[in-house]
Amino acid sequence: MTAAPIVEFSDVSFAYPEPGRARRRPFRLTALTFGIASGEILGVIGPNSVGKTTVIRLLTRVVTPRSGEIRLEGSPLAALSRADVARRVAVVPQALPAAFPFTVAETVLMGRYPHAPGRFFESEADRARSREAMAQAGVLGLAALPVAELSGGERQRVVLARALCQEPRLLVLDEPTAHLDLRHQAETVALLRRLRRGAGLTVLLVSHDLNLAAEVADRVLLLNDGRIERIGAPESVLDEPTLSRVYGCPVVVDKHPSTRRLTVHIVWGSS
Amino acid sequence: MRLLILIGLLLAAAPAQAFIARDMRGHAVTLPAAPQRIVSLVPSVTEIIFALGGEERLVGVTDFCDWPPAARRKPSVGGMVAPSLEAIVALRPDIVVATDEGNSEATFDELERLGIPVYVVHAHALDDVVALIARLGELAGRGAAVPPLVERLRARVRRVVAAVRPYPRPRVLYVLWPEPVIVPGRDGLVTELIELAGGTSVSATSPGAYPRLGLEAVVASRPEVIILARHGGGDTPTLRATWTRLATVPAIQAGRVDAVAGELLHRYGPRVVDGLELLARIIHPEAQVAAPSRAAGGARR
Amino acid sequence: MTEPARRLGAVLALLAAVTILAGAGALFVGSAPISARGVVGALVGRGGDVERLVVLDLRLPRIAAALLAGGALAVAGVGFQALTRNPLADPAILGVAGGAAFGVVVAQLGGVGTTVLAALGLTVFAFAGALVAAGIVYLIAASDGRLPLETLLLAGVIVGLFFSAAITVLISVVEFDRLAGVIHWMLGNLRAISPGALGLFGALQAFGVWLILGRARQLNLLALGEEAAQQLGVEAERLKLRVFVGASLLTATVVAFAGPIGFVGLIVPHAVRLVLGPDNRLLVPGALLAGATFLLVADTLARDVIAPAELSVGVITAFCGAPFFVYLLRSRSGSGSLSP
Repeated sequence: MTAAPIVEFSDVSFAYPEPGRARRRPFRLTALTFGIASGEILGVIGPNSVGKTTVIRLLTRVVTPRSGEIRLEGSPLAALSRADVARRVAVVPQALPAAFPFTVAETVLMGRYPHAPGRFFESEADRARSREAMAQAGVLGLAALPVAELSGGERQRVVLARALCQEPRLLVLDEPTAHLDLRHQAETVALLRRLRRGAGLTVLLVSHDLNLAAEVADRVLLLNDGRIERIGAPESVLDEPTLSRVYGCPVVVDKHPSTRRLTVHIVWGSS
Repeated sequence: MRLLILIGLLLAAAPAQAFIARDMRGHAVTLPAAPQRIVSLVPSVTEIIFALGGEERLVGVTDFCDWPPAARRKPSVGGMVAPSLEAIVALRPDIVVATDEGNSEATFDELERLGIPVYVVHAHALDDVVALIARLGELAGRGAAVPPLVERLRARVRRVVAAVRPYPRPRVLYVLWPEPVIVPGRDGLVTELIELAGGTSVSATSPGAYPRLGLEAVVASRPEVIILARHGGGDTPTLRATWTRLATVPAIQAGRVDAVAGELLHRYGPRVVDGLELLARIIHPEAQVAAPSRAAGGARR
Repeated sequence: MTEPARRLGAVLALLAAVTILAGAGALFVGSAPISARGVVGALVGRGGDVERLVVLDLRLPRIAAALLAGGALAVAGVGFQALTRNPLADPAILGVAGGAAFGVVVAQLGGVGTTVLAALGLTVFAFAGALVAAGIVYLIAASDGRLPLETLLLAGVIVGLFFSAAITVLISVVEFDRLAGVIHWMLGNLRAISPGALGLFGALQAFGVWLILGRARQLNLLALGEEAAQQLGVEAERLKLRVFVGASLLTATVVAFAGPIGFVGLIVPHAVRLVLGPDNRLLVPGALLAGATFLLVADTLARDVIAPAELSVGVITAFCGAPFFVYLLRSRSGSGSLSP
């Protein structure tokens, strides 16, 4: 890597505080050490409840590590304010809360908050940037509609637009294709590639969809049981014995001879 | 010499005929002259003022001031707890007579803030009633009417006491309110009236003016006469039914349960003596205490 | 000036005009028979002393109190609803009104008003009760220095129930002749309070409104969910604490001066939201004015409809509550809040 990594995790450990009764599986992230290079797309994969979303929370200072250090663009995360972090890192969450009352335009405009948190109203420049973001995500035509009236896929693109509106260096996507049909999945992938090329955006992609990660990511980080199982190019991480062991079910990985594209298949159990 | 002139000037400058009265809180009320316009926030006070013949100076009453019937024709300022300050002010009173047992203190504060003097009264015993009549006589400029009225009332009380003296004193339960059971306590006016009427209130030692009593305590006190208070002139068949179920109580066994019009005994105006006579007739029918000449609500079986 | 700022200005100007008109109109209503000319005369310093007394010392302060209380309750309602992301949150639900009511009942039973403490009055007791309640709610709901919203709502309901029960106990042992007074207070009443008290009321309310209005933009972001708001740079814990304090302060102030008046904090934010939308930057000032007007109209009715006797204003607002809930129910089942 020639440029300094945007994000560095050094020996980070974390566990959720256990209120009263212990959780069924006490959760720990242990000794996480990795970096996200500027301009790369890093995919984070692993079984459910292994800590993928917790990585996002640590990165955005929603929770703080028990030990270890996280650096964002060279600065320790703990030294940055929330607004500082939000100016550089934008999260596209899985879903919007139910009964969310705002329109698409109002929602996307919220992304401008970290750039001028002291303002009461957004500026004209904010509005212009917000319109651009909506256009990039393909929701400009829906601007005046209440978000509650949109389909799952449209909502996904609205939160993406909001994240783009934040003008981040690092875009974090939490299960971005969860509600999308094939066409929109393809569009999302194309958009990510365009953004990376054009805006020099770095992307952290958390997904349970291995094929998406294989397709889009430059590197893949496989989490298992709170630790990094493997990190590296998709071909080196997504091999059959590793995946079968980590996911606990038989898996087949095909590599297309000419495109060299990886496809992960589940071996459905016989009756 | 100059000192004498100074003193003379000072004396001359003192307001002539200044009216100073001290109410039952101990507050001194100072007016430039005797009050000509009185607002009464207490039905008892209204009754007394009418009985003294001072109703010309009474310019405002409450919705509850219903005796004598002429009182209903006076302008009303609303209820007792939240009378309309505007209505009071619009009547331009010189003084407002109120009670700290029925009116709210917020009303006193507000009236005094508006510069309207408030004269607060209450009564827990017959002597208080007499004192109240005297005070109101002074306020209403009817001081001359006080001694005859008081003497008439005292004479009637003496007659009652004399009439019931020969007879043994039954235990009397007076029920101010049936649910929860509220009875007259040590400080209640009704307790004294029962005593004078030749009975002994079973709740005479209970603290306060009108404490609550549990039904068990009622039964345990074994009253020989039960008197139920009626409010607002309605009949009380359902109340009676509750009590007649308590078969072990002597009063029930003897069939000595009566109802009386509550306002005769709870207001502390001149009709309190009517109430006394009524109690005497119920407790000691054999004493044959005469009925009052005015029809003021009698006992019904 | 940006477009939304202009829009806000126009809406506020309209609402303010309505409020002023309502306030002026209420000056002409009352149980004292004063002509319109008499009212105007009193306002400009002429007219008889009865007119001046009634208009300037009775009607004007009471109108001011109604405007202040209505605005405070409505803004508190907006704050609590945004905080809990629950459009059915009412200031009373969070136990603060119950605590204040308890404080006043204790004071009345303790004979406050007849002693030296009369100078401080019931106001202080109500305030103390409200703060105790808010404190207990916070203590129950807070953990690890954070204020989870689900437990906040639950804690508020619990504390409210507790104080309700406590009040019931006190009422059941109170002296018979004091009962009417206590119950009267509990219905919620506006009175012509002194200029000093009005000033204090106004100052407290201004502070409470500022606490909430100053964070109106952040409250919008809170609707995204606490985590998402934090990821956008909002200091969610500080925001929640500040809005909680502001809304509790507003509620406590009103209960201290006027008793527990219900439904304003529930109905007015809803009505304003229907017209102005969910943006708290419009909603807070809009609710302030709409709430002021609403309570003023309710109080004018209360002191006039069975004149010279007066109804408690809480009775009028309660009457508005049932039809409002019917409307809510029908609008929800009609449009359907489930998304495709």
